[in-house]
Amino acid sequence: MSKPLDPVTLEVIRNALPAIANEMAADLQRTSYNMMIYEVRDYCTALLNPKGELISQNVGGVSHFVADLGVIIVDGMKRYGAKGFKPGDVIITNHQAVAGQHLNNIVIYTPYFHQDELLMFSMVRAHWIDVGGTSTGFGAGATVADPWLEGLQLDQLKIYREGELDETLYRVIKDNIRFPESSLGDLKSQMAACRLAGRRVDELFNKYGRDTILQAIDIIFDETERKCRNVVEKLPDGVYEAEAAMDNDGVKRDEPVPIHAKITVSGSDMTIDLSKCSPERKAGINSRTYAGARVAYKALTGPLEPVNEGSFRALKVVIPEGNIMMARFPAPMAGWSTIVPTVVDTIVRALAPAMPDRVPAGHHGLLGGTVVFFGVHPKTMRRFVIQSIEGGGWGGRPYEDGEPASVSVCQGDVRNGPIESIEMKCPVLIEERALRRDSGGAGKYRGGIGLDVRVRNLVEGQWNFEQTRRSMCPPWGLWGGQAGDYNEYLLRQPGENDFAIAYGNRRTVPVNSEAIVRTGGGGGWGDPLERDAQAVHADVIAELVSREAARDEYGVVIHPDLSLDAPATARLRDEMRGGRPS
Amino acid sequence: MIVVAIDIGGTFTDLIGFDAEQNRFVEAKSLTTPSQLTRGIIDCIRKSGLDAGAIDELIHGSTIAINTLIERKGARTGLIVTRGTRDVYIIGRGNRPEAYNLLFHKHRPLVDRHLSREAQERLLASGDVHEKLQAASIEDACEKLKAAGVEAVAVSFLHSYANPEHERQAGAIVRAALPGTYVSLSHEILREYREFERTSTTVVNAYIGPKVGGYVKSLKQDLGAVGFDGDLAIMRSNGGVMTPEVATDRPVAMMESGPVGGIIASARVGQALGFANVISFDMGGTTAKASLIRDGEPTMAPGYYVGGYASGHPVMLPMIDVVEVGAGGGSIAWIDEIGALKVGPQSAGADPGPICYRGGGTEPTITDANVVLGRLDPDNFLGGQMKLDSEGAARGINEKIAAPLKMGLTAAAQAILDISVSTMSLAVREVSVKKGFDPRDFVLVAAGGAGPLHIAAVARELHVPKVIVPLFPSHFSALGMLLADERHDFIRTFYGDLTGIDFAALVTTHAEMVREATSGLRHKDSAEQQIHLDLRYVGQEFTLQVPVTLEQLKSADRQGIRQAFDALYEHRYAHHSPDEPVEMVNIRLAVIGKRPRLQFPSLTACASAKPVRERQVYLSDPAKPVACPVYDRPSLGAGARIAGPALVQEHGTTTVLFEHDACEVAPSGELVITIGDAA
Repeated sequence: MSKPLDPVTLEVIRNALPAIANEMAADLQRTSYNMMIYEVRDYCTALLNPKGELISQNVGGVSHFVADLGVIIVDGMKRYGAKGFKPGDVIITNHQAVAGQHLNNIVIYTPYFHQDELLMFSMVRAHWIDVGGTSTGFGAGATVADPWLEGLQLDQLKIYREGELDETLYRVIKDNIRFPESSLGDLKSQMAACRLAGRRVDELFNKYGRDTILQAIDIIFDETERKCRNVVEKLPDGVYEAEAAMDNDGVKRDEPVPIHAKITVSGSDMTIDLSKCSPERKAGINSRTYAGARVAYKALTGPLEPVNEGSFRALKVVIPEGNIMMARFPAPMAGWSTIVPTVVDTIVRALAPAMPDRVPAGHHGLLGGTVVFFGVHPKTMRRFVIQSIEGGGWGGRPYEDGEPASVSVCQGDVRNGPIESIEMKCPVLIEERALRRDSGGAGKYRGGIGLDVRVRNLVEGQWNFEQTRRSMCPPWGLWGGQAGDYNEYLLRQPGENDFAIAYGNRRTVPVNSEAIVRTGGGGGWGDPLERDAQAVHADVIAELVSREAARDEYGVVIHPDLSLDAPATARLRDEMRGGRPS
Repeated sequence: MIVVAIDIGGTFTDLIGFDAEQNRFVEAKSLTTPSQLTRGIIDCIRKSGLDAGAIDELIHGSTIAINTLIERKGARTGLIVTRGTRDVYIIGRGNRPEAYNLLFHKHRPLVDRHLSREAQERLLASGDVHEKLQAASIEDACEKLKAAGVEAVAVSFLHSYANPEHERQAGAIVRAALPGTYVSLSHEILREYREFERTSTTVVNAYIGPKVGGYVKSLKQDLGAVGFDGDLAIMRSNGGVMTPEVATDRPVAMMESGPVGGIIASARVGQALGFANVISFDMGGTTAKASLIRDGEPTMAPGYYVGGYASGHPVMLPMIDVVEVGAGGGSIAWIDEIGALKVGPQSAGADPGPICYRGGGTEPTITDANVVLGRLDPDNFLGGQMKLDSEGAARGINEKIAAPLKMGLTAAAQAILDISVSTMSLAVREVSVKKGFDPRDFVLVAAGGAGPLHIAAVARELHVPKVIVPLFPSHFSALGMLLADERHDFIRTFYGDLTGIDFAALVTTHAEMVREATSGLRHKDSAEQQIHLDLRYVGQEFTLQVPVTLEQLKSADRQGIRQAFDALYEHRYAHHSPDEPVEMVNIRLAVIGKRPRLQFPSLTACASAKPVRERQVYLSDPAKPVACPVYDRPSLGAGARIAGPALVQEHGTTTVLFEHDACEVAPSGELVITIGDAA
């Protein structure tokens, strides 16, 4: 590098690069045809260099896409070579050998040339509502045995060559997916976002010149790395461990899926070792991803800072081949992200002793209660599909209660479907969307409350009740706090008196059935007996905590007229403390 | 005829009046008295020398609505909702826009959960009754809310946008059971689908209602007591004004009225000078705000989040679209942990203020950088009433910025300005480029105390060729209020495929909306309408607002409407899909009651401009100052021409012209600046 860059130019470029990725995201979201993009924000937009290094990425979408496009560029460069890309090329790919996610996640990318030199790629990964096979909606379930059953596989194909559409490929895609008007509309939106980025990048290069921009990017990477190191440096050196488990993998129902994190802090270096997580499964919850480690590291080192290649240079992630998160093709990956929020939370939990003032208790830990009901309306003969993601409770914090009913740590600006919007488009009644009393773990700071969403179907249709549960390892408490309640699907068909636990995908239910989509609560933080009795009283009045739970878990006595009995509370709390093993 | 506008800001209450007979402006300022806002208003009128009894019309803008919410000083509020939806308002959309933040917050509800009660009733999306409203359930809710001492009640039922009957019935029961309680029904506040956003908007209205309603009432009384018997109008977020009666019913409509006056004024000033397309740029002490005006009309946003998108309260009422960035005169320059120079968003505000204000400020600000570069004259700030500490400013920049970055003093000051100009430019880009407009096709109008200082640099950065510095740039918001029309915006959800829409029913709905809108209008005779349809391709969620005429609705012009949508889509996103089916979601109506136009005085022509002095100022080159003539703005006559480099000083601000910039004074007094070919 010749002369040092002046601070003004550096700052302007630093602001401009994330702004481009965010503008791509805004454009994609507003023009997309499927709620996985405009509500669930299941996409990412990014600029990468030909080495596969992340220059900038949008903020606010699904967090587990963080910095995971590099492998695709490295692979693409290997296939095509630097000279194999031409202006006007558009590449489409979703192949699991490299991408390591479910096939619904379609990556579109275009090369950017400045004076005939390949300098960047603009990329958009987005969840298509269908890629054939069993992929409709949120994606095929855990029970889908391999990628061929899952859907259409596209392996680094040029859908446009120098601006010329490959009609054959286009027809193959169109004829092998269920909602072509939606997905091909999304393809259009993804390409438009890439082109937009191309124009913005071009403006930047023309203004500041090639050398200045490339130099600035290197400096930005270095500075980002230094910021992360500054945070890690303040943590005590040592080895931190924690573990958790999913009830099962969705296929083998009697065998839990172990999750384990070992974090080594040494100076400003951090190693996250996930080797002791389950080996690859014969169920679709495998993946090839560093997302678990990276989302946790990002949340701890600079949650509000933009993401780039420097964000993870001071992090070493260890996941051996054959691990559930480093599965080998053709291991099934249809539910690839299922375990990731729990992995993130396990890493965060391990570090609680290192950062006691910043680490909350466990959150519901799943990708939300997914509401997926679909079918064909008998009157209009139109297909319908409801998709909504319902949040659960977050853990109590070192200084306040956890947030209720919010999406997982792997989901950012992911929004539930409004009841009015769902009912406008689909033949159902949402009878209830309600906080569930006593679902938050007891603690000095209570865990956030989980939800029940009750749906009545007005025509026959099919439900997806496939979801990994955490009943054996519910959202944990910290420092003496209690665990939160866990998630579930319940179903009551016409003529039945009670709700029963529901399983299975594509389960046909008759008219007028009621399904409950239940999300977990957060764990409590600290000893429940230390919770301010007034706060417990307020929770009882608000019907977030029952009188029984106030007495049994918090030692707070509240009379049937909802008045607080302070002397009885003091006595009961003494008694409960005395009864504990010391 | 005497028209007066009074704008209550955080620090000062501003008055600007225009006496049409005498053809003159009147200005006055007094300190805002937060505990007794109306006193500041009466003080201001007294100071202005105007006879309150002679004022024909008084337009008032106030931050009371937004402050009541932000400071959470509103009424104890109850909420009545459809069975099963008690928690919809608490849950919101379940999202976490700060994706990696483990300690995020969603909005903090304004209603306690135990004050949220369910009614036995249910409508379908079609508006058909699925379960009749049981009056007993409302009576029961009222009893509980009464016992809890609520002062306001919001009612929000599912699908009330399609059929408001249940809400009306419930409202009647609540009003009878809880006399004196402030009641807001969701369909009266916002008749649009999406229950969380509509409920939030209604709750905000109820929460601030008693306080704001009381304020409007006491304002009328206090004004009456000093002899005022003209028309009172209240400024609202959509750029129009409303009667005190409408303001009392829908106080939420005035929530974001703060920046609106300046934007209206920008539109009018631009039009008067023959520029229908302008970008209003207002820079004050803590932020800079940009807003785009096309064909003389400000652009509207369909809603906003009070307190920010991540953790704020959604209010889905139309407001003038403003993008705000943390770059104001008081924005602090600092060096972050890795040694990068940053400016803002922290601001020294008015207290302690920039170092040069001598108010105890210790952090270098944008204003301090301007003093160091000689662009602000320490001896002539606010007409010389306040002597600035240029040595302190230099010391602060040297110690905090120049030394750590190993830069010279003036280079550091210039770097602070360059970074803030790039931030400000992002705001202008956001309202233009991002919406598909090229800023080079627009004229920038600079307002606020710091706007004219930086506008030429911002224009250069964006290649904007022309800039206007209006009269009264530091009182611009109040000036805009003098010019605002009455305006009511209404929305109705009306859902269906464009090919199947029942246009006869749509015309009936439109007529109902017109009746509702005009009933609150003072200037009925001059009223104009704007109709928009919210359209999208089937399968999409976000809509575009497509302007249509009443004739198009009456003649069911599906094809014309469709083409207009495709064209708008193409303009906005650079592609469109003529074969995809299109659906309609909402109809929007704006009814605008035109107030009489004021004819402002012109300046006497005087083509020669004489500088009052010359000063050494750092402009393009921080290493070398240039000799810069300084002009006194009040001395400039119409037609006067000034060539840059130059400074034009007036009471509240200074306009900076760079080398090659050329300025001409318009007959009506504005500075019209052509940015030099350096651009």
